[in-house]
Amino acid sequence: MADVDRYEPRGDRGHRGGYGGKKRRLREDDDSYDRRDRPQRRRYEEPTGTRLRKQLLAIAESPLRNAEDEALNIAKITAENWDDQYIKDTFCEISILLVLEQPFKIPFVAACVLHANTQNSEITTEILARAGAKAQGFLETGGWKEVKLLLRFFACLHSLFEDAGVFPILDELFNRAVDLQTASSEDTLGLELVKIILFTIPYIMATSTSESEQQKAAQLLNKTDIVASTPHMLDALVDPYINNEEEENRPMGFQTILTLLQKQLQTEAANEWKLACIPRPYSAVVTSGSDENGDAPTPAKHPFPSITVPTTVKLGPKALFPEIYFSLYADQDIESVPPTSNIAASLIRDTLVDTMNHLDFNRNAVAKFLIEMDCYWAPDTFVKRATPFDKLRAVPENKSTWKPEDLAVDAVFSQLLQLPTPEHKLVYYHSVITESCKIAPAAIAPSLGRAIRFLFRNVDAMDMELFYRFMEWFAHHLSNFEFRWKWTEWLDELDQSDLNPKKAFIIGALDIEIRLSFAKRIRETLPVQYAPLIPEGRDKDTPDFKYADDSTPYAEEGREILALLKKKASEDEIQTVMDKISAKAAEHNVQDVLVPCTDAYMTSVCYIGAKSISHVLSCIDRCKERLLAIGPQSEPARRQIISSVVDYWRDQPGVAVNIVDKLLNYTIITPVSVIEWALTDRLDRGRALARSQTYELVATTMAKVMNRVRQIVD
Amino acid sequence: MVPFHIRNTVDRLDRPSSYAASKYKKRKRDDGETDANRAPSPTLSEKLSDATTLYVGNLSFYTTEEQIYTLFSLISPPRRVVMGLDRYQKTPCGFCFVEFYTHDDALQCLKYIGGTKLDERIIRTDLDEGFIEGRQYGRGKSGGQVRDEYRDEFDPGRGGYGKAVKEGYGEEYR
Repeated sequence: MADVDRYEPRGDRGHRGGYGGKKRRLREDDDSYDRRDRPQRRRYEEPTGTRLRKQLLAIAESPLRNAEDEALNIAKITAENWDDQYIKDTFCEISILLVLEQPFKIPFVAACVLHANTQNSEITTEILARAGAKAQGFLETGGWKEVKLLLRFFACLHSLFEDAGVFPILDELFNRAVDLQTASSEDTLGLELVKIILFTIPYIMATSTSESEQQKAAQLLNKTDIVASTPHMLDALVDPYINNEEEENRPMGFQTILTLLQKQLQTEAANEWKLACIPRPYSAVVTSGSDENGDAPTPAKHPFPSITVPTTVKLGPKALFPEIYFSLYADQDIESVPPTSNIAASLIRDTLVDTMNHLDFNRNAVAKFLIEMDCYWAPDTFVKRATPFDKLRAVPENKSTWKPEDLAVDAVFSQLLQLPTPEHKLVYYHSVITESCKIAPAAIAPSLGRAIRFLFRNVDAMDMELFYRFMEWFAHHLSNFEFRWKWTEWLDELDQSDLNPKKAFIIGALDIEIRLSFAKRIRETLPVQYAPLIPEGRDKDTPDFKYADDSTPYAEEGREILALLKKKASEDEIQTVMDKISAKAAEHNVQDVLVPCTDAYMTSVCYIGAKSISHVLSCIDRCKERLLAIGPQSEPARRQIISSVVDYWRDQPGVAVNIVDKLLNYTIITPVSVIEWALTDRLDRGRALARSQTYELVATTMAKVMNRVRQIVD
Repeated sequence: MVPFHIRNTVDRLDRPSSYAASKYKKRKRDDGETDANRAPSPTLSEKLSDATTLYVGNLSFYTTEEQIYTLFSLISPPRRVVMGLDRYQKTPCGFCFVEFYTHDDALQCLKYIGGTKLDERIIRTDLDEGFIEGRQYGRGKSGGQVRDEYRDEFDPGRGGYGKAVKEGYGEEYR
């Protein structure tokens, strides 16, 4: 490359000084896109636009500053500079973006608007118009998450509206929901709309509890009751625990978010809408009982933006399913998270999940927000960060015992273990937990430990797919933290049979750990009692070639095939040896002579390519003509290909899964042959189901098929 | 005045790193002398807008392909992995290319895997324009990566001290 020649001489002298420094600054350099906008030299005062942007983006983030003061300040800057288009755009665009990306800041953004309204009511007009337009857009495309958040924003501004505010829209949404629900018993969009209604109501009632609003809320709750409280036919699909047991014996209660929310709201209504957890950073502005047209100066009132709900509502980009309220800590002896009877459980969880799912492009920010969640709710909602679990008993009667770390871990696991699938790839949620542990180890690690113990205790009742998600997460997580775990806790399980779910979990997790590292290293991290789980065979880089042993049938011919393949002999020479095997097999009354031929061939391919995946791939590529010819000739021989691979790599099940995946890509084997191989040929009276390799083979094959189908459909 | 624009409220991790950006800037400067008959070079964002290949750096010399496959399969099974090799020894020298089937898979790696550990080292991931034969070799004078030439910290997973430092070239360059 021409560049290389010109680059090196200059680079040695000119860049190397900077190179070392650059390496260290690499992380910070990533916002070089920003640097162009920011002034190079430090000035005494930043431009107003920059100040406003920074303050608004960081609102409520510091526990040292009073959030209401921050809102007042932001409102002041905006009002004083409202004639500047840049300021207008900064304030409005960032406010709306915060509503959609950092929902826990909605009450605070609303506070800015409320305070700004007292100084310049044009600000409110502008932002209501823009937010209204956005909401209209999302209503039409079916962006229901965004609709929910924008309605919540309006709800927090409820004291500003001269008319009925958000209620008419909620009524409209309810009408659509009823239509959808009556049309089909499988409908889930109607549930989603009711969920939006129910999540909006508390924020209205936290802002203003006038007579008319209480009445309207009560009316709505009456109407939604029937939809929210009826079980849905898809509920069983999303149950994380196999429902063999009586309700009392279930590890975790089964309640959908919708049913819970309905009950919680009815409780709050009966308690005068205390809604203790919602922050109210606008006390200076809102007067309670805002029915009165008070004396001047009163903040200006505004009409609710004109938003119409389309007559036909669209499903939107994703399929919807009922959601259960998943919690590892709720409703146990010690109340480290809000009980399911308390509305805080739903409100906080909803916000945490939305933040996690909207900000997936920066897991570090998500981790920070999770750890610092106590800044965004009413004071004293939580106990102090990193309070040890044991100390919760010592907390005085009327004080909260909710640990923010438990809520954070709960929220992440609720997504990781969500059925049918979470919004993002599973490994995203792994990385959120990893980052949280990195930035606040003392706080998060104990909560995580308790979560792991809860899940492990109940692993035998878990849905099979969730079992594997938990196992994969556990191994991947440990690989980021030197594989440290209190393995001594699980010594009792080692005596169990390999078919026992807890034992199978340990075996499977260790296998993944070894794949991410190597056998010797993992053995070092375990107590000696675990040694039998990692036999010496796993240390071998290249498993033995079975035909080297003369007691193996067709040993001589197997060795011949290997030699021929190694020297890249002609197909005719190879066919001669194949014919020898066929003849021998026929003499022994073997039903399908192609099977032992295939075994010798494929095992040789595996042995030649044992060094790495690239090696075996290049060997498969060279041999693909013969391999492709096998399947059409004989299905048992095609399945023998799989057998040869899995048997050769019996000590490294992960390698076999990778190779089978590649063979599928070449269409040397078919998805059906993999499934039948795993679940018929090798079922071993059910024992195979306890091996994680079986699950992996089936799961990855199914995923591949589904992907292809999706590609064709799209 | 420049109109206000903001894409997200926090930085995104799924963008090319400053290394990729500076690599491009350098080439652009060098290309300045060439004739006007050549077609305009693609911009950085164009080149990497459909990149399916990832550069992965800060690996240990002992990290295996299988370990790389296992980790990156958490996103999606890679199409292939090309290990970075010492130009003379032809042994792994601490980087690799991971090629996926889709651009989205590569972006997801940047978001979820880059900056986490593989074989107990924090790895660096970056969008790459694509593997070409020859790019799998280190460009340092001794055959490994340039960053290992002058490194003065001891790194047991990457051959100890930097090659130049070991052999005493370091003094003139300090």
